[in-house]
Amino acid sequence: MKRADTTIAWYGALTTRHRLMKLGGGLLIPGMLWLMFFLVIPGLVLVAVSFLTRGAYGELEWTFTLENYRRLAGFSLFGWTADYLIILWRSLVVAFVTTLVSVVVSYPLCFFIAARPERSRYLWLTLVIIPFWTNMVIRTYAWFLILSPEMPFARLAALLGFIPAGAPLYPNAFAVYLGMVSMFLPFVTLPLYASVERLDWSLVEAAQDLYASRTRVFTQAILPQTLPGLSVGIILTFIPAMGMFVVPDLLGGAKYMLVGNLIQQQFGPSRDWPFGAAISMALMVLTMVGLQIYRRKGKEIEVL
Amino acid sequence: MMRKVSLLIGILLLYTTVAASGQELRIYNWSEYMDEEKMPADFEKRFGIKVRLDIFENNEEMVAKLQAGGVSQYDIIVPSDYIMPVLINRKLVQPLDHAKLPNLKNLKPLFRQTGYDPGNVYSVAYQWGTVGLMYRKNQVSGDAVKSWSVLFDEKKQPGPFWLIDGVREMMGIALVYLGKDFNSTRPADLKAASDLLVTAKRTKNCMGFKSGVGGKNDVVAGTAVAAIVYNGDAIQSVTEDPENLAFTIPKEGSEIWFDSMCIPARAPNPDAAHKWINWLLEPEVGAALSNYNQYATPNVAAEAYITPEDLNNPGIYPTPEIMEKLHFTKDLGKDNRIVDEAWTRAKTR
Amino acid sequence: MRRSHFLTVAVSWLTLAFLYLPLVGVAVFSVNDARRGLVWKGFTLKWYLKLFRNEWILEAAWNTLLLAVISTFVATVLGTILAIAMDRFPWRRPTRNFLDTILYIPVVIPDIILAASLVVVFGLLRLFSSFFEPGLPNMIVGHVTFQIAFVALVVRSRLGAIGREMEEAARDLFASNWYMFRKVMLPLLMPGIMAGAMLALTLSLDDFVISFFMAGPDSQTLPLFIFAAVRRGVTPQIHALSTLIMLITVVLVILAERFTRR
Repeated sequence: MKRADTTIAWYGALTTRHRLMKLGGGLLIPGMLWLMFFLVIPGLVLVAVSFLTRGAYGELEWTFTLENYRRLAGFSLFGWTADYLIILWRSLVVAFVTTLVSVVVSYPLCFFIAARPERSRYLWLTLVIIPFWTNMVIRTYAWFLILSPEMPFARLAALLGFIPAGAPLYPNAFAVYLGMVSMFLPFVTLPLYASVERLDWSLVEAAQDLYASRTRVFTQAILPQTLPGLSVGIILTFIPAMGMFVVPDLLGGAKYMLVGNLIQQQFGPSRDWPFGAAISMALMVLTMVGLQIYRRKGKEIEVL
Repeated sequence: MMRKVSLLIGILLLYTTVAASGQELRIYNWSEYMDEEKMPADFEKRFGIKVRLDIFENNEEMVAKLQAGGVSQYDIIVPSDYIMPVLINRKLVQPLDHAKLPNLKNLKPLFRQTGYDPGNVYSVAYQWGTVGLMYRKNQVSGDAVKSWSVLFDEKKQPGPFWLIDGVREMMGIALVYLGKDFNSTRPADLKAASDLLVTAKRTKNCMGFKSGVGGKNDVVAGTAVAAIVYNGDAIQSVTEDPENLAFTIPKEGSEIWFDSMCIPARAPNPDAAHKWINWLLEPEVGAALSNYNQYATPNVAAEAYITPEDLNNPGIYPTPEIMEKLHFTKDLGKDNRIVDEAWTRAKTR
Repeated sequence: MRRSHFLTVAVSWLTLAFLYLPLVGVAVFSVNDARRGLVWKGFTLKWYLKLFRNEWILEAAWNTLLLAVISTFVATVLGTILAIAMDRFPWRRPTRNFLDTILYIPVVIPDIILAASLVVVFGLLRLFSSFFEPGLPNMIVGHVTFQIAFVALVVRSRLGAIGREMEEAARDLFASNWYMFRKVMLPLLMPGIMAGAMLALTLSLDDFVISFFMAGPDSQTLPLFIFAAVRRGVTPQIHALSTLIMLITVVLVILAERFTRR
């Protein structure tokens, strides 16, 4: 549909709409082309691959099938098992708990930092940012030390009978949760802080003056105001947590497998790209849902 | 500012291209399978070719890397016997030029006519060995380790232990423990083996699955009291600490394997690769390798230089009784898939 | 300044301790004179010295740096242009939504899916061109892909903060597009661009998953090196390497604060 070329004033410049669009389009092209080639198209290829078959020696066979999705739903060569659904569910639970704990712990931390004198606030924030920027492999394996048999934590657990004497406090689910929370905590704290900093405390005081209970003060006065930052924090934690594989690999030791490990295994030793692609698709669906929520709620805050 | 930045980028790129030139041999080998400092240094001194070493922990990981592009990036790979058909079938390895390998004559006849590559078309034997159980003597009794039940039977477990993170080794051991064939492809057998592994994995004492080298390191460090490991790795540590460490092969049986050197199909420097293989076939070099990593050598000329203790060590050179219980892993062709699924099942439940 | 509830303070301190305990542990044992175990055997710097003599570690460090610098540069340029294109032009609603969605995908997607799709695509493209062999170029491509989105988002929010007045004023004074960009928009935008670049830099240094899937034999990076080593058994040398990396991170964070607080 060809629109008439209207003259408009745009940012002080007198120009036609078409000329503006041409310039805009031209500027868009480098970035968008890159994202198209290396993000969107590979994503589509991955979808296609999820319908292929794995050859006898691990190569890609170009026969289309729904077998991978059937296998994901549990219909394996050994009869129906809920194995993969369990892993997907487990990843969801771990991501949820990680996010929940991070949120619960972040609020006090944010209030604490916001209550500091203005000059020292950025110092405290820096303290949170430093682990955030430290490489995830280092942050994860560092737990090996804390959870090793000679440390009091492992000794206590052995005393209580959770683990055999002399064993380290990993690999197991507890260690994975520890690693996940310590990994994602700053992801919630930093966006949340951006909201907490702008909190209008007068509203909180008003609620307290009206004899509102602690919980109501929180849910009615604090929570709504911090919702933008909270939403960003939740999305930045929940979704990556579902796809995480370093933490479960190092701290879970194949005893506690999550979706990330499963995918990595298919692209590694199992050499089953189609199945790996199918699992990635399942994860992708969950991601897209989260993306929609992020766009609706988190738009108001400029945390990045 | 832009000019300074582009100048900097230019210098960086120039440096990388300069650094990349010069003859290089890229080896993709198992971890701790040779003296990773001395051997490359010796080779470089002799031939003037720099050696770059990359490591893997199991065969499947190695093949995955090759299929993902490694086939044109490595000059030497060290696959086990059962994975050779995969490599040959997928055309991931190239035929060897025997004219460049005069030392081939040093190999024992058994290794010149193997089942997987008769006539050494693609491979030259590197070392051979077994898989077994390494344990700490003061916490695990010598009697208990006569059977794999020391790991699979919860009542008999002596403490924290690792299972081995290799699909064929681990599934095979589970299968023979249950009295089935090491290479069985029957769904009922594989399901039972998979279930056994899941049950064992879930016990308090099982730490999970780790590579042979990783498990060995943990037993040496004391964080585990037992682990399924490759015999050479174990014997290396036992020799350093015979008071506390020991190695054995339980009665139900285990795996025997041959590892070979191959050249990937599109290796960047096949000439250097041939030099390496031929050099490794020299008697003193082959013996140095085995004396270091404590595996068995396929090189009959090298045997003259191997320490007598090693030659008499049943852990390295198994006695005929032990040999009877050892099984070769066979390539299963299309049936590989069901073993893979059983393995994924064992790891994911 | 408000007085905080005792519980808030307590939880906050505990949380910070929780975050730092493992890292401090690594730093402490990097100077312990013991090959293994957690018994304190005396202070030593020998593990650090061994690091500098290990040429594979030095090479991994160089690769990490090269990868980070190149990918940050490319991503910052592309991302800035993209942000300007998205924000300073009158797109219609559907176009705007579409562009937005594409931009948010790399930010939100679990990086393993991004890595998996690149592995597959590069695997297929490899049959046509050897550029797609695993190695540094592939890793750069992977990094730039997710960095662009972050840079674009940061720069875009800065563009929003700048507002229209300056540009309109410049145009009123008959400035050409290019002049206006160079002399007016760019200087105003610089803090945002720097912030975006620093963010991209740390994302690249911190990345593990994308590098893991795209690496080739001569493109080992520090995170990959540490991961492989840790799986076989932790040594004090790894602690030393990790502590060094943490110190460099601290320096980077402080530098970033300086740049973006201008």
